[in-house]
Amino acid sequence: MTKEFIGKRIKRNEDPRLLTGQALFVDDVDIPGMLHAAFVRSDYAHAKIVSIDTSTARQMPGVVAVYTAEDMGDEWQPGPPLVSPPPTVEDVVFHSRRQAPLVKDKVRHAGETVAVVVAESRYLAEDAAEEIWVEYDPLPAVVDIEKGLEPNSPLVHDDLESNLAAHLSQEKGDYEAAKAQADVVISKKIHIDRGAAAAMENRGIVAHWDEKGQLLTIWDTTQAPIPIRNGTAARLGLSENQVRVIAPFVGGGFGPKIMMFYPEEMLIPWISMKLCRPIKWIEDRRENFYATTQERGQVHEVEMALTKDGKILGLKDDFLHDTGAFDPYGLTIPLNTQSHVMGPYEIANFSSEFKVVFTNKTIVTPVRGAGRPQGVYIIERLMDAAARELDIDPIEIRKKNLIAPDAFPYSHSIIDQAFAELILDSGDYLPTFEKAIEMIGYRQFIEQEQPRLRAEGKYVGIGITPFIETTGVGPYEGARVQIEPSGKVNLATGIGTQGQGHFTSFAQIVAEQLGVDVTDVRIITGDTAEFHWGTGTFASRGAVVAGNAVYAAASGVRKKVLKMASKVLDAPEEELEIQDGMVRVADIPRMSISLGELAAQANPLRGAVEPGTEPGLEATDYFGPQYGATAFGTHAMIIEVDPETMLVEIKRYVTAEDCGRMLNPLIVEGQVHGGVSMGIGNAYYEQLHFDENGQLLNASLADYLIPSSMEMPPRIEVGHAETKSPLSELGTKGVGEAGTIPVPACFAQALENALQDFDLEIAETPLSPNRLYELLYKKEQ
Amino acid sequence: MRIEGEYTFSGTREDVWEIVRDPEILSTALPGTQKFEQVGENEYEGRMNVRIGPVSGTFGGKLTVSNEIPPESYTLTVEGTGKVGFLKGTGDVELLDQGDGTTLMKYDGEVQIGGRVASVGQRLFDTVSKSMIKQGLEKLDEALQARSSDAD
Amino acid sequence: MSDLFNLSLTVNGAAYERQVEPRLLLSDFLRQNLGLTGTHVGCEHGVCGACTILFDGEPARSCLIFAVQAHGHEVLTVEGMGTIDNLHPLQEAFWEAHGLQCGFCTPGFLTTLLPFLEENPDPSEEEIREAISGNLCRCTGYQHIVDAVKLAAEKMRT
Repeated sequence: MTKEFIGKRIKRNEDPRLLTGQALFVDDVDIPGMLHAAFVRSDYAHAKIVSIDTSTARQMPGVVAVYTAEDMGDEWQPGPPLVSPPPTVEDVVFHSRRQAPLVKDKVRHAGETVAVVVAESRYLAEDAAEEIWVEYDPLPAVVDIEKGLEPNSPLVHDDLESNLAAHLSQEKGDYEAAKAQADVVISKKIHIDRGAAAAMENRGIVAHWDEKGQLLTIWDTTQAPIPIRNGTAARLGLSENQVRVIAPFVGGGFGPKIMMFYPEEMLIPWISMKLCRPIKWIEDRRENFYATTQERGQVHEVEMALTKDGKILGLKDDFLHDTGAFDPYGLTIPLNTQSHVMGPYEIANFSSEFKVVFTNKTIVTPVRGAGRPQGVYIIERLMDAAARELDIDPIEIRKKNLIAPDAFPYSHSIIDQAFAELILDSGDYLPTFEKAIEMIGYRQFIEQEQPRLRAEGKYVGIGITPFIETTGVGPYEGARVQIEPSGKVNLATGIGTQGQGHFTSFAQIVAEQLGVDVTDVRIITGDTAEFHWGTGTFASRGAVVAGNAVYAAASGVRKKVLKMASKVLDAPEEELEIQDGMVRVADIPRMSISLGELAAQANPLRGAVEPGTEPGLEATDYFGPQYGATAFGTHAMIIEVDPETMLVEIKRYVTAEDCGRMLNPLIVEGQVHGGVSMGIGNAYYEQLHFDENGQLLNASLADYLIPSSMEMPPRIEVGHAETKSPLSELGTKGVGEAGTIPVPACFAQALENALQDFDLEIAETPLSPNRLYELLYKKEQ
Repeated sequence: MRIEGEYTFSGTREDVWEIVRDPEILSTALPGTQKFEQVGENEYEGRMNVRIGPVSGTFGGKLTVSNEIPPESYTLTVEGTGKVGFLKGTGDVELLDQGDGTTLMKYDGEVQIGGRVASVGQRLFDTVSKSMIKQGLEKLDEALQARSSDAD
Repeated sequence: MSDLFNLSLTVNGAAYERQVEPRLLLSDFLRQNLGLTGTHVGCEHGVCGACTILFDGEPARSCLIFAVQAHGHEVLTVEGMGTIDNLHPLQEAFWEAHGLQCGFCTPGFLTTLLPFLEENPDPSEEEIREAISGNLCRCTGYQHIVDAVKLAAEKMRT
């Protein structure tokens, strides 16, 4: 029997390098002759460029080159559309407008790239960038999405009739008929504002065009090196094999490091080819705040029709989605919102229409959660309102509407972000819901603790929020596994790592198949020279899509090992076992051969081989799921609100997660903890404040507050259940975003519960002590 | 961003009017002013060094006076740009005779800021602008008193 | 370009002499001039704590210090704490407790915690949370870091 590694709490292979400062991040790349770039970015959110004076900058010490859009001549072209936009839905509208490497006509958000300076050092590049004078003709800015659709609004893109970027409607059943039969209809208008992903590492790129070798090497903080390689090759007129993109260790991704083709990603390689010099650009934190993509801005008008005993008859959700100045990422986010607004509930009649709006703000693409937290927030706010209206326990009303375990695979009968039918592959929602209720001690809290503390003048509240997360979407990923003569195993896969532990969880899969130790598997992830088929790390798909590709490739090698060992050891395959790096005939330890020796024999230096023989113990395989795997769970929290300061303390936090089969529970828990901390930020600390002119007013970590150790609850207790996905051999589901998704909804629920004396209704997120105070003050007026 | 406030000058409305419309005195009043020149009847150009929290830099700009009703009121329009961003604003200034030899100045305006001053200096902009205005008005008041004591 | 200054300092026990511009940040000096890229820069304004180093034994933000200010002083970076084959017990504890994910903020946590644990050999969870409250981590939610510090304290006591 081969040793089992999957499902074990195994410490990570990558950590010793990270812990000693020996892991390579993009900013650590240093090449002789390397030049440094600094950007001139727009101070205005919306303005025509009248003139750009680069004359002084070009003369400054150490400056090698300065480029504006004009200097790029015919080579200026906007970025590619990333996610093919118009799905096969009737009457869909989609206007694709993409960011350019350098702005030509007018700037459309503060921080857009206007010029770039290349100099001998970053210091000198920044000196020169400050001497570039840009004359602007300011235009009124589109900031508010509702006002942005008014007929007299200024236009972000002058060639369009309005700021409408996209429009899509989806229907299931007949909402109006359901509403006519309903005992009660709850309606709400809900505002959700923007936050930043704020990975600790800012973005960065080093591009090195080797003129003699005719090869372009790019180190990029990207979540998707392969699409960047292919897109760069196409943009620069190179063969795909002439471009190598390496995503080394990346200091957190959380969505915005996806294959954006950010302006800098288009420019730096181009400049390297122009100058035949290596070029480095590292984003600073302020640039990260207005040049790296953001998310979450939506306004919903939503209605829920119910029977008097709390059964949902129908749901109608019409919403606006803020896409910022461009829409390179298509409809992924609003479709995700639509896909999660019905969530874990059975809702027979559904109607939803969204309008995507261009604004003079930073571009919007997925941030951990990607439209899902909004969907969960919407449905859960309505569940709470309905429970109150109907005087039903908030737990009971949810239980009443959860999809039954025998209903899977369950179709929500709308399309998802992949433009395919939204099918929930598997699930059993009640157990995790009840587990969270039990872990947090809901009954005891409601019946004893809360009344007692309330009598002491303490405002304590509880929230319990079930949710789903669509994960592991296609199209596919691949992997190549090879046993070396040393007995060590190499694994190469296309997706990069941003801290998820790929070096370990993938190694566990391989080690279990090939009977080696987890530390004997050397992994290369995110280097297109090693593997160039696949898309990237996003949509909580690493462990699902790449994980199963790794499994398939490792199984392929296992088959080769057994076949060959069977010949060498002259024993039937069924009697062989692989363990501790050896293939043995079961029960006859003498009859064995090491994997390394087999690998050496599989690559002979002399002699003849049978026709059709593949050399080596190597296999490449792919996995593409039929559709996504849907994870689920329930979060619960107990909070205390200080009525004087409106500071909220999270006293307890509990999650019951089901992400299918777990590869490594230690890593799963880490993902959940981190997700929850980002969710807490989204709920109560993190809001990007744009003024009416589109100026971002809190573009530093001193003003934009991400949770520190003090804002987190003392413990996040994580409970697990494992409902395997039937869509793959491993049965895995994603968990990267699950921690974040339900937090704002759960927080709002707990707040309302804590402040029930004030009869406060929360219909927005993020909140803050200030905002809570305002809401209470307004209520009192 | 709104900037409003008031200040009492110890002088008559006519004297205050003269002071606030005298470019030479104005140039000494605002902290950090490096240059202040009259370029048209009601137009001035200047350069000023400003520090707002972590952001500091030189702003070059233009000041225009309009809607003049001597000695009662006028409108100020400011436009400044620099390496650290830009600033644009319009404000109404009103002088009210208090009948006791003092004059009350009321000002009320809207200022727009952008670039680095906005993105990382915003939190402090309000405080800094208030303190700069206060310092400036105190300087003007000093000049007013110096002038009246000269006249004595 | 301004004049160059002679800078001599000790980093991770080794003496260095370099000529630097007065405006060069210590973080850039360590990373670019000495190639010690384990010190990471996350915000350039002293908030995130990723660039924390030990300056004469005290945690300090190397992005807020000019290299010339380190003249005659002693600096310790993460590279000076332990090696891949010989981890410091604090590094070992982070490994065992899964106290890091992307690892970008980690060097700053380690340098912050080293003197903390020397002064507080048996800290409470509350004390640990306070000790790391000036270091931001976006991946872990801090829980496994707190666990790691408790484990490290245990290892370092024995």
